[in-house]
Amino acid sequence: MIPGKAKDSLLYQAVAHLGALKMPPGPALTVEEVQAIKDWIDGGAPWSSGKWWAFEKPVRPTVPANAANPAANPIDAFVDQKLRSAGLAPAPEADRLTLIRRASYDLLGLPPTKEQIDQFLSDKAPAAWERVIDALLASPRYGEKWGRHWLDLARYGDTAGFEQDPYLLLAWRYRDYVVKSFNDDKPYDRFAKEQIAGDELYPGDPEARTGTGFYRVGTNRDMLFKVEDVNLVEKRTDMVDTTAAVFLGMTVGCARCHDHKFDPIPQRDFYRMQAIFQPAVSGQVFLDYNPARFYGVAENSRTFKLWQISTEIANINHKYQGQLKEKKLAALSPELQAAFRAPEEKRTPDQLRLVSENPNVVKIAQTEIDAILSQADQERMAAISKRLLQTFTGYGPPPISDGITDVGRESPKTFVAIRGNPEAFGEEVRPGFPAALGGGDIPEPPPHAASTLRRKALAEWMARAENPLFGRVMVNRIWQFHFGAGLAKSPSDFGIRGGNPTHPELLDWLATEFAAKGWSMKAMHKLMMTSAAYQRSANPSDAAQAKDPANELLSHMSRRRLEAEEIRDASLLVTGELNLKMGGVPVVPLLSKEEMFGMIGNPTSAWMVTADAAEHKRRSIYLIARRTFQQPMAQAFDGPDGVLTCSRRNESTTAPQSLALLNSGFTMDRAKALGVLVKDSAAAWERVYGRPPSPEEMSAADRFLAKQQGLLGSREAAMAQLVRGLMNTNEFLYVD
Amino acid sequence: MTRRELLARTSNGFGLAALAGMLQGAESVNPLASKVAPLPAKAKSVIFLFMHGGVSHVDTFDPKPQLTKYNGKNLSAELAKTIKTSFIHDPSKAILRGSPWEFRPGGTCGTPVSDLFPHVRTMMDDIAVVRGCYSDQFDHAPAIYLRSTGFQLPGRPSLGSWVTYGLGTENQNLPAFVVMSDGSTKSGPPAYGAGFLPAVYQGTVFRSGESPILYLKNPDGVTGEVQRGTLDFINTLDRMQERTRPNDSTLDARIASYELAWRMQSAAPEAVDMSKETEATRKLYGIGAGVTDDFGRKCLLARRLVERGVRFIELISGTNVGADWDEAHTDLTGSHPRMAAKSDLPIAGLLKDLKSRGLLDSTLVVWNSEFGRTPLSQGDNGRDHHPYGFSMWMAGGGIKGGKVMGATDEFGVQATEMRVDAHDVNATILRLLGMEHKQLTYLYQGRDMRLTDVKGEGEFAARLLA
Repeated sequence: MIPGKAKDSLLYQAVAHLGALKMPPGPALTVEEVQAIKDWIDGGAPWSSGKWWAFEKPVRPTVPANAANPAANPIDAFVDQKLRSAGLAPAPEADRLTLIRRASYDLLGLPPTKEQIDQFLSDKAPAAWERVIDALLASPRYGEKWGRHWLDLARYGDTAGFEQDPYLLLAWRYRDYVVKSFNDDKPYDRFAKEQIAGDELYPGDPEARTGTGFYRVGTNRDMLFKVEDVNLVEKRTDMVDTTAAVFLGMTVGCARCHDHKFDPIPQRDFYRMQAIFQPAVSGQVFLDYNPARFYGVAENSRTFKLWQISTEIANINHKYQGQLKEKKLAALSPELQAAFRAPEEKRTPDQLRLVSENPNVVKIAQTEIDAILSQADQERMAAISKRLLQTFTGYGPPPISDGITDVGRESPKTFVAIRGNPEAFGEEVRPGFPAALGGGDIPEPPPHAASTLRRKALAEWMARAENPLFGRVMVNRIWQFHFGAGLAKSPSDFGIRGGNPTHPELLDWLATEFAAKGWSMKAMHKLMMTSAAYQRSANPSDAAQAKDPANELLSHMSRRRLEAEEIRDASLLVTGELNLKMGGVPVVPLLSKEEMFGMIGNPTSAWMVTADAAEHKRRSIYLIARRTFQQPMAQAFDGPDGVLTCSRRNESTTAPQSLALLNSGFTMDRAKALGVLVKDSAAAWERVYGRPPSPEEMSAADRFLAKQQGLLGSREAAMAQLVRGLMNTNEFLYVD
Repeated sequence: MTRRELLARTSNGFGLAALAGMLQGAESVNPLASKVAPLPAKAKSVIFLFMHGGVSHVDTFDPKPQLTKYNGKNLSAELAKTIKTSFIHDPSKAILRGSPWEFRPGGTCGTPVSDLFPHVRTMMDDIAVVRGCYSDQFDHAPAIYLRSTGFQLPGRPSLGSWVTYGLGTENQNLPAFVVMSDGSTKSGPPAYGAGFLPAVYQGTVFRSGESPILYLKNPDGVTGEVQRGTLDFINTLDRMQERTRPNDSTLDARIASYELAWRMQSAAPEAVDMSKETEATRKLYGIGAGVTDDFGRKCLLARRLVERGVRFIELISGTNVGADWDEAHTDLTGSHPRMAAKSDLPIAGLLKDLKSRGLLDSTLVVWNSEFGRTPLSQGDNGRDHHPYGFSMWMAGGGIKGGKVMGATDEFGVQATEMRVDAHDVNATILRLLGMEHKQLTYLYQGRDMRLTDVKGEGEFAARLLA
């Protein structure tokens, strides 16, 4: 067998019946089985040696000597060595406008402002580039951009999903926690530990405990009744799957039903991990103890008050309903009257049909009652209105966040579910870690422990430099969002299907450097962005295009399309409309009736538009994420749906995207807003592209403006068309 | 109009090279390029009729004389134990309820159909009824997600997305996967979403009226001439930019996508414009005739889309905020006739029309629901959710009609013969289109994801074709 080359391997030839030797004797293997063997060999025949790179502890490699530039960033030493041996020359450095635009989108998700560009273009000091990076990393917009990456991983949403799609009222506290953690450059090991076991590790720190909201912001089926057992199984499975994928880059989902086909994850290990989450239950985190307590007390009495008020209203209404109903009945045909007057249990089949076919003929609206209220009852109703208003004045979200905690020191038992069927109990398992990563059991907690301390054990076991996956996985994610693809291509699957990294030594060097730098993510950004590899032009040479079309060797920068949020946020920024307010309750923007088509439930309750229109222009991360209804523009541009953890979004190109960007009210509103602000095409160019137009572009723009002005009758309308055009160009939509 | 003809009609040469590449199907550029099915198959397109909310099988396609005979009695404790109900408090205390509708034989094959579907009944020689369906979800949303995506959670690619991922589409000027609904559903857009597949495979909702697709219409005040001018301007700037960024197929594809958008702006209104249909055709679908008008239009539109090469068309009957099959909870005798009357004549018309135009053989028509309804009575006049046994049917796409496959027990409680679930049905639909369900995979999170996950062993295409 020749690892990596199935077609040249006798083993494959034999099972595929390609040569003289045909194996096994008797019936041939199925197409599927042969394919599995081929995949295994093509994948380097891992485990024939008993080792897989990702499960071995990273050893800090020596940085290759770089004679041409000994002072270079170590990243370049690794990258250039590979380029040289492939006989490829690196692309030249990108121009400064391209660089600052690239850096600004990568770190903030927004284009640079004119001031930032001018400053960088005129800063001739050698440290100019570093200064740009430092300034960007210090911007609060950074946490909003990188927080969004994390929310994709955390399958974040503001509703639970399913047919009622109820609100997860406090999910946004977790979203704000994530944004803040990135802005604070919270060390990644701490960030991970807080999310897995903030309650057990830092019980006195409400912010850390808010991190456990990681387990509360996914889909949940709690509103489905009579299937509580299924709901619980799905919840535990989601906890294990998401934790393993996000923090370890391991796909364990298939081990729910059987031993993993490709990776060394026996089914038993899946349930050992599930046992860690077995005692976990929903918990409330009091962000500010006394206000939270008082809020709870006030809400309690407010609810009681509301019950009483509604009884008062019902009693008043009752006095008028009889006469109103009688009036409506009297106007009906004799048959209908008889049907409605008959007691329900005595209605004939015909009468039942009549009643059900005419559901609205005797219904009474509140307005009809209001119209005939006596003077005294009118006054009573007015008093009730006043009390209702008082009850809700100052009503707002509680100083509480949603987290998890353990049910207590004793956990329910965990059993292997045979073939994934939770009702088929297999052997009982103890909580522990996957054998492939060294294994180990979690001990019983001390006698007086408040919880099982299982998640604490998991978090501490996970977040350490010796864990082969913890650092590699995160540093690879950071790399992916700077270079377009990870050094390991499947960022949440470091198993055998994920393949080998393109630069294994570089990945290990970065992982060890990440730990050595105290798990600072900002340090990693700066390290990567100050490499020559990051600063290259996005145009490949002919040789690179021929030899390395996927740009695995990083001879140039990979061009990328803006993400859904970046398109929206950048559009609002260049028109000067972006509202930079941070945090808080999700914003529900105004959508057209057509855009809301298909939404579950009535928009009056499912899409309660935020009253203050200025809020509608906040950054996309703060817009409501309804699980059963993605906003159409976000959906068209591959926005996340918040159901499964998402490590890398699709980057598709479709005609519906172009229709959305051309014809939506959103684009027209932006175009009009900027159309009145800019006096000429040069100004429009500066706002949208951050550069002046070339003479050729200028004359194209002038011709365009003249023609559209002729058709539309006004300079302003023509200018809006110009802006609409610019916002639909590749220069606006792609980052070089 | 063929793609080549369409291409020939391009007058201004705008984006022609890139567009030609896209239309002729360089897959790296156009993920929707039409592909040849890997296995021989007659069916080229699918019209998927989804009865939203749950249709009662024992009142439509699965007659149960025993249920009528034991009307008013309790179910045996043994059988009652095997089911969970949503609103019926205790299945062992609820009473059996015979169907209020007569069943009569249809076609020369004589397959019995109730009086709820008298027009569909005349088409039974073309229809294969499958009576052994079951599901393991008894709430609407998870049952609908399971039916359409193979998972009870939202977020996975739907059947229509998988089909267009596997086969692409014939007409690049129209969406590949079109959905027509009555509006709000209990599961929302994830039931026709692309999940982890690229957005290009998600279902595009068609509404009635001249602007069938969201954002299809020019913004207010923008005439065709202004629109064309702005599109040309975008193209001019993109071409200038491209000079310094040669050989980037992604940028080319984006340029072409604007030309496709422009073409869609004229192709979609043409597709939905029924003014050229004859009076006889309109009558066949019940257009202009009260209750059948709306669904009739959808069915006729479905035929027009099939003619134009659209791969997968899903029609949803019923809505979360109005008339729905699920009103059968408390009003079986009112709601079921109301819902059936909307679609019975149009569906029969669709089958007849497809047949007379020679399209039925290449078009698979599927009629189904997320689950059936209890043979037990809920209250005086209702039936509850019932996933343990229910019916669906298929026609066209090369299958043999005039037969009944599978069965439920004598009361219609449990599917007993040829039990098939959503995975089996999905595998069957894929196979009828020439795809093996185990081979249609997409690598996501380290797994070769499939529509049928690890299931679908009950695929029954061969039995439909025989």
